[in-house]
Amino acid sequence: MNKLLYYIALSFLFSCQSPTAKKEPSAAADSVDTARAQTTIRYAHGFTIDYHDGFKVVRILDRNNNKFDTLEYLLVQKGHPAPPGYPRAQVIPIPVQTMIAMSSTHVGMADFVGVADRIMGLGNLRYVNSPVVQENIRKGRIKEVGLDENINNELVISMHPGLLLAMSNPEANGARYKVLTDAGTPVIVVAEWLENTPLGKAEWVKLMAALTNREALVNRKFDSVAKTYDSLVQLARQAKTHPHVIIGTPFKGSWFMPAGDSYMAHFIEDAGGGYHWADSKGTGSLSLNFESVAPEALTAEYWLNIGLINSKQDLLAKDPRFASFRSFKMGNLYNFDKRSNDLGSNDYWESGVVNPHIVLADMISILHPGLLSGDTLVYYRQLQ
Amino acid sequence: MMNKKHMTWRWIALCTLLMLIFFLDIAIGPVRIPLKSVLRIILSLPGEDSTVHYIIGQIRIPKACTAVIAGCGLSVSGLQMQTLFRNPLAEPSVLGVTAGASLGVAAIMLGGGSIVTLYTIRELGISGSWLITLAGCIGAAGIMLLVILISRKVRDNMMMLIIGVMVSTATLAIISVWQYFSDAELIKDYLLWTFGSLGGVTGTQLYILGAVTLAGLILSFLSSKMLDALLLGENYARSMGVTIHRARVIIICSTSLLAGSITAFCGPIGFVGIAVPQMARSIFSTSSHRILIPACCLLGTGLILLCDLIGQWPGNQTALPINIITALVGAPMVVWIILGKNNLSIYG
Amino acid sequence: MSDAQTLLTAHQLAAGYHVGGRPVTIAGPLSVSIQAGRMICLLGPNGAGKSTLMRTLSGLQPALEGSIDILGDRGASLHSPSRLARKISLVLTDPVRHSNLTVYSMVALGRYPYSGWLGTLHEEDKRIVAWAMAMTGIEAYAERKMGTLSDGERQKVMLARALAQDTPLMMLDEPTAHLDLPSRIQLMQLLHKLARTTQKGILLSTHELDLALQVADEVWLLQKAGGRLEKGAPEDLVLNGTFEAVFDKEGIHFDKNTGSFNIHAGSSKKIALTGDDPAIFWTRRALQREGFEVTSEGLPSIHADGTGWTLKTTSARQVFATITALLKALSALTISNEDKSETPGGEGKTTS
Repeated sequence: MNKLLYYIALSFLFSCQSPTAKKEPSAAADSVDTARAQTTIRYAHGFTIDYHDGFKVVRILDRNNNKFDTLEYLLVQKGHPAPPGYPRAQVIPIPVQTMIAMSSTHVGMADFVGVADRIMGLGNLRYVNSPVVQENIRKGRIKEVGLDENINNELVISMHPGLLLAMSNPEANGARYKVLTDAGTPVIVVAEWLENTPLGKAEWVKLMAALTNREALVNRKFDSVAKTYDSLVQLARQAKTHPHVIIGTPFKGSWFMPAGDSYMAHFIEDAGGGYHWADSKGTGSLSLNFESVAPEALTAEYWLNIGLINSKQDLLAKDPRFASFRSFKMGNLYNFDKRSNDLGSNDYWESGVVNPHIVLADMISILHPGLLSGDTLVYYRQLQ
Repeated sequence: MMNKKHMTWRWIALCTLLMLIFFLDIAIGPVRIPLKSVLRIILSLPGEDSTVHYIIGQIRIPKACTAVIAGCGLSVSGLQMQTLFRNPLAEPSVLGVTAGASLGVAAIMLGGGSIVTLYTIRELGISGSWLITLAGCIGAAGIMLLVILISRKVRDNMMMLIIGVMVSTATLAIISVWQYFSDAELIKDYLLWTFGSLGGVTGTQLYILGAVTLAGLILSFLSSKMLDALLLGENYARSMGVTIHRARVIIICSTSLLAGSITAFCGPIGFVGIAVPQMARSIFSTSSHRILIPACCLLGTGLILLCDLIGQWPGNQTALPINIITALVGAPMVVWIILGKNNLSIYG
Repeated sequence: MSDAQTLLTAHQLAAGYHVGGRPVTIAGPLSVSIQAGRMICLLGPNGAGKSTLMRTLSGLQPALEGSIDILGDRGASLHSPSRLARKISLVLTDPVRHSNLTVYSMVALGRYPYSGWLGTLHEEDKRIVAWAMAMTGIEAYAERKMGTLSDGERQKVMLARALAQDTPLMMLDEPTAHLDLPSRIQLMQLLHKLARTTQKGILLSTHELDLALQVADEVWLLQKAGGRLEKGAPEDLVLNGTFEAVFDKEGIHFDKNTGSFNIHAGSSKKIALTGDDPAIFWTRRALQREGFEVTSEGLPSIHADGTGWTLKTTSARQVFATITALLKALSALTISNEDKSETPGGEGKTTS
């Protein structure tokens, strides 16, 4: 049975679109935006899509200034009137033909949905890994509009984008984008970071799909991602070992460790790893002192997400006490910066978000070597 | 002169109390470790779990040592500032030394280009602590030189105080500019740094910090006589043979050594520099620096150890910033001591 | 008087400040010297530059021109405070803030140029501190904190500190300011005694003309405009009119005879006064207050002695027991005299 699962997993792994294969979806029929296809949300909690005749209602749960807020958007099909009865909603004409993206994740999602070519503006031209977008930057077709407080409102308005994809930022002033919306630029807040499961986060590609009428395509692709993911989870459950994992590095006596219900904690669990703080509450980070982490850190077999450190030498230079960690002694030190380009842009944050199955495969390869054949890591890199 | 016997008892009592607090700081922490184990480890007796060894030997003892160093260094530099400027509110940050250290650190953590800077650091292979610490020391030294240069043109110490405050303000403004243009992640890191922490200093760093602080303390102690003369003001001091410019340079140097290096290694830790000299003057009822400098060392050490102890109460998993604790614990303590002694006119 | 050793010589000294890069002379150029065992008072109107001159002589600020020679050290003030500290000690008007200091510690600070590395006192130091405290009469205060002393006591402590510094020269800047009269007198007496007994050269600036004239061996009179300095024995300066000239102003007159300033200007009302001291001295004062000019002959006249005051006018002769009564009668007399003087040489009231 094991072997069967193993082969299924393998085949799915290679059949899915990997970030290295740069083919756009070939089926011509699927590439035509269709207003008819629909999609359902199974994993994400942060948004809902309701389908109606000629329009879609999207509700996004956003956290702003420590308060949860539901943002309502009316995605109105071309040629249809905006429906009455949604006073608070912002109207976004779809399908969106041009967009400005504020974060790497948005680029990753656009790539997944096959609309990366429609990006006409970026918050920062440096944080891009997608070849399509990089090519467009080289051709000068993409403008840099600035991030957060430094966003160049006038430039954005003058570009007349079909949509501006904004990052959800808990400390941000909610009215920040009012200038743009008042001027007629549609703005949507993509709050995918609030999801605490890998599949939930990846599922936000369906939002992109709804915006571009590409539900059919995305449904197929996402279903295959989800299937692969689930089968990998099953595989990991069969593993004989259950190694423990620690995450991140301390800074001056403060160690931020993901809480029990957080994105990273779920990832570890799905990869068949043990996590000391799996029972802790919360979806964010625990601010722990070094001493509280030490007993676990000394015995955990694996150390992941170490951060901007090049080598074991550098890690030791940061704090000589790391040498006593079991993971250090065994050399099981990993960081997810294998796909970082020369400009310091890490693809983990771009395509990694929409390829949770590949990230999971990486983690399983790390925690259970030999379980998957050919333990080549895609996003993760072992520190030397 | 105070009753000699009385004085000796005070010293003995203070030292004993200090050793007790030091021991408690090592014995008590977030992870519960039985006292017996603590004693066995301190006495180097075998048979204890390696985890416990690690926690006591690699985490708690270095932290306690850092506390001792910070306590001595910050309080003595505060004392000197208060004497030089004859102002009870003066503290090490007044001359801009701590701002200078912050500037150096901010340059690394926030300075223009953020991700590029960090990427560059990564490529160069110098990571985290060392670079930040070095930058802090350079920043403090730079400001110190600036202040010394300015002090040559200034005859009056009051003017020096104002100039120092201005330099400090300008420096912090530059840091604010960087913060304004930085990503939230970096700002959060820098903010964490400003909360101060005793936990990050280990191994070689601890030895270096200890050596530098010792040098500063010795320099200060040897200047006791000159500091006493400065109490009477510059004119009298000059008439008694003090070369004012040289005195200023010595004080600025020792303060920068002490406060600058501690800030570079531990982040800015406030309050100790103002409060402890006041406490020392009150408790020992003297203005003689020969006595006050050791007294400040003891009291400063005690205060910080106590605050550290409170911050790591058993079961407390979170990291509490030392700055907040020193203020919360220290302020009422100072008020209590001063009022209790009815010594409101220390500076009458 | 034997030839005393010269402790300090200033040659063509100009004292002042640099204002906007240009030197502004406040006092000088002047040439003075201080001998051992003498007490010199520096006097002058406000703003004449006494403080500036003292600061320059004591090395607290550099001279604009000229040279100062202190016991063989030329220009020492600028280069070596520690050498100068063994030659000059100061008592200033600077407030001493640290009231937590005990009196003993304060006096002991005077041993700064001689004490050990950390300020430890040797036997010799302790002896001198004790002596300084005895000389100034403050042994009883040794353990008290500076903050608990009165102004007069504090000044004595600062004096003791300067004494403990054991220097051949002592300079004091307005040491009697803020003191009550008995304390002022005590201080001046003490300084005079010190100069004589310890053979120190003492220079002090003061506004106490009265006391200075009585106690100083030499007076330096600093004039405002031009910053010229007149020096000499106080009596010489009074008798040759220098004093008057320096302090002369509208309505102010220095009276050589009494050694004090006349508050009241003279007038045409003349009256003659004879008698014995101290009655004659004080009667003159009272008459001057009433606006009389006192002469030695003529009528009306008053004779003052131990028994009473006798007033003789052209017409009458009265005796009074107190000055108050005398003055009362005089004012009545003056009025009637004025009436009389309006009619050419007649007696009695004018007839309308």
